[in-house]
Amino acid sequence: MNALLSKFSATDADSEIRTAMDLAEEDGLTDAMWGSQAGFGQLVQGHAFNIPAVPNPTAFLRLHTDDHADPNCKIKIQHGTTTLAFRFQGGVIVAVDSRATAGSYIASGTVKKVIEINPYLLGTMAGGAADCQYWETYLGIQCRLHELRNRERISVAAASKYLSNLVYSYKGMGLSMGTMICGWDKTGPTIFYVDSDGSRLKGDLFSVGSGSTFAYGVLDQGYRWDLTDEEAQELGRRSIYAAGHRDAFSGNTCNLYHVKEDGWRFIGNYDITKMHYDGPGAVPGSLGSGYGYDVRTDNRFSVLPKPVSA
Amino acid sequence: MECSFALTGKDYVIIAADTTAARSIVKMKVDEDKIKTLSPHLLMAYSGESGDTIQFAEFIERNIRLYHIRNLYPLRPQSAASWIRRSLAESLRSRSPYTVNLLIGGFDTADESPHLYWVDYLGTMASVPFAAHGYGSYFALGLLDRYHNPDGSLEEGLDVLRRAINETAQRLVVAPGNYIVKVVDKDGTREIKL
Amino acid sequence: MSIMDHNGGSVVAMAGKDCVAIASDLRLGAGAMTVAMNFEKIFPVTDRIYLGLTGLATDITTLRDRFRYLVNMFTIKESRSIEPSTFAHLVSSTLYSRRFGPYFTEPVLAGLERTPSGGFKPYIAGADLIGCLNFAEDFIVAGTASDKLFGVAEGLWEPDLGPEDLFETISQTLLNSVDRDAYSGWGAIVYIITPEKVITRTLKGRMD
Repeated sequence: MNALLSKFSATDADSEIRTAMDLAEEDGLTDAMWGSQAGFGQLVQGHAFNIPAVPNPTAFLRLHTDDHADPNCKIKIQHGTTTLAFRFQGGVIVAVDSRATAGSYIASGTVKKVIEINPYLLGTMAGGAADCQYWETYLGIQCRLHELRNRERISVAAASKYLSNLVYSYKGMGLSMGTMICGWDKTGPTIFYVDSDGSRLKGDLFSVGSGSTFAYGVLDQGYRWDLTDEEAQELGRRSIYAAGHRDAFSGNTCNLYHVKEDGWRFIGNYDITKMHYDGPGAVPGSLGSGYGYDVRTDNRFSVLPKPVSA
Repeated sequence: MECSFALTGKDYVIIAADTTAARSIVKMKVDEDKIKTLSPHLLMAYSGESGDTIQFAEFIERNIRLYHIRNLYPLRPQSAASWIRRSLAESLRSRSPYTVNLLIGGFDTADESPHLYWVDYLGTMASVPFAAHGYGSYFALGLLDRYHNPDGSLEEGLDVLRRAINETAQRLVVAPGNYIVKVVDKDGTREIKL
Repeated sequence: MSIMDHNGGSVVAMAGKDCVAIASDLRLGAGAMTVAMNFEKIFPVTDRIYLGLTGLATDITTLRDRFRYLVNMFTIKESRSIEPSTFAHLVSSTLYSRRFGPYFTEPVLAGLERTPSGGFKPYIAGADLIGCLNFAEDFIVAGTASDKLFGVAEGLWEPDLGPEDLFETISQTLLNSVDRDAYSGWGAIVYIITPEKVITRTLKGRMD
């Protein structure tokens, strides 16, 4: 009777889940069948991952997934990416590409590399796609629980620290993530860089992924704190274009987000080749012409005849 | 780590190379000139395996000079670059290949146009409006796509070069501190203080 | 990463009705970094033969120069221009001469062969890096996007296409294949060889 009472009297989210799970257990449902938490149900009682039945699971995983050492390995984890985020007077700009490669094969050009953790928090995805997606969604759950428990939104610092501690506990087991947790909290616009080594850095400007160096080149040279919103969005787009253009493993499209005091806003999706030839379209802050070197310089350098559309 | 940059502009080519000569973790020299003047209107920046670099550069320098003496006219930039590329490609399949990366910039006095070639140790050659070797290239290329102007004045070209060097200094962990900068145009080659 | 993938790039050749087409991308890379977007991989051999070379860029340039020399010597000695089938064997034996230290290139050649009746017959051929010739009636592919090119060409190619239809087919095949390959793309160039003339077109392709 007491148990029954506590089940219905509890108000916090943790016990809500517990209640629901208890009810489910009474119906003979197992954890695996627990669908309403989108597969995260098993995490409530701690992370129960299946581990390969070999003496050294970590070495086993590395043997079969590390495609730097062995390009012919059976499992290929998504690697190439360009993501960036920077803080300025008007909030935070988050821009990413959308390419997924498996070896030299472009497996997808429409990957969502910005993970919308909640209306005030964004996470970016570089490294293992599944690792980022899973743990940042999990972070979203924890952020919501924090909100329910404490009746206030979690700070970006706390959220990123939670993720950092979590991935650090798996250090050496093959997790691969380089992510930026971006948002607006009581302290204003904030960015934290968190990676699977356990690093957690607060900063104004970060770029992560194989194309990050190309993005940095454009980003650093165009960055000022007092950028206008339009200028900042343009800088984000232009930097992702630079990376998409020069890095074989970045490209396809750019997804752009702007975080302000009232939460994040999706600004748009821009095709990188369209940006090369015609520019990002009728958006504030853009020159209205193509970013491409040959386009910008009107093929003055090129010795080839002007290209035609097939 | 070694970095070199080059860019073309209105009737000139600018080449910049860092000035450090390193051995293991030690800087042996901080004012080494790694840009050779091959002929009155031809420059070559070289980087790579120490020993190979100087041996190869001097071999090229002497042979380009020999051609000039024998024929009274120097090789044009296109031909010189092509011959240098071939030397590297042949060396690649020899017993001990030269591991040298080059940026060859020249002003062709016949058709009055600047030429820039990116050449790597394999003998890969590309004619480009701007180029870089070393880790600096990862930071410079994106930026040069954005800021380089093929019709820019010398001052404009030097400003863009400053951006590339500045960006490398800002982001590259092992960025070199000093660069030597040379220009080739219709008046020949000269060194410039950045 | 294989040495054949270091610089990236792809070539495709297709046979049509009294015409052949050969097309390539324009990328020159150094691993993941794109260094140049104007690197041509297809070279004229005679006015009726074009040779495409994929693989290691240094060997592409070396072989281009070498074949130019060999074809010039042939033309001078024989006082006639070389036929595609003869040139194919010249390519093959040149590559096999480096059997134990190969050029890392896969050539593709497209041309029009003179028939005894005085007409022209499409001729396309490919080879592996040590010169094993591969003749085809339909199409030949090579390069980092070769597996993708096989798939798309298999779907789009049909027999007896005229020059303009062949241009459309080879262009779409190349552009769509390199869009799924990280190491190829950044523009493309197409040559359509007909008995009367050669049509050259540079294509707008994805630049990422």
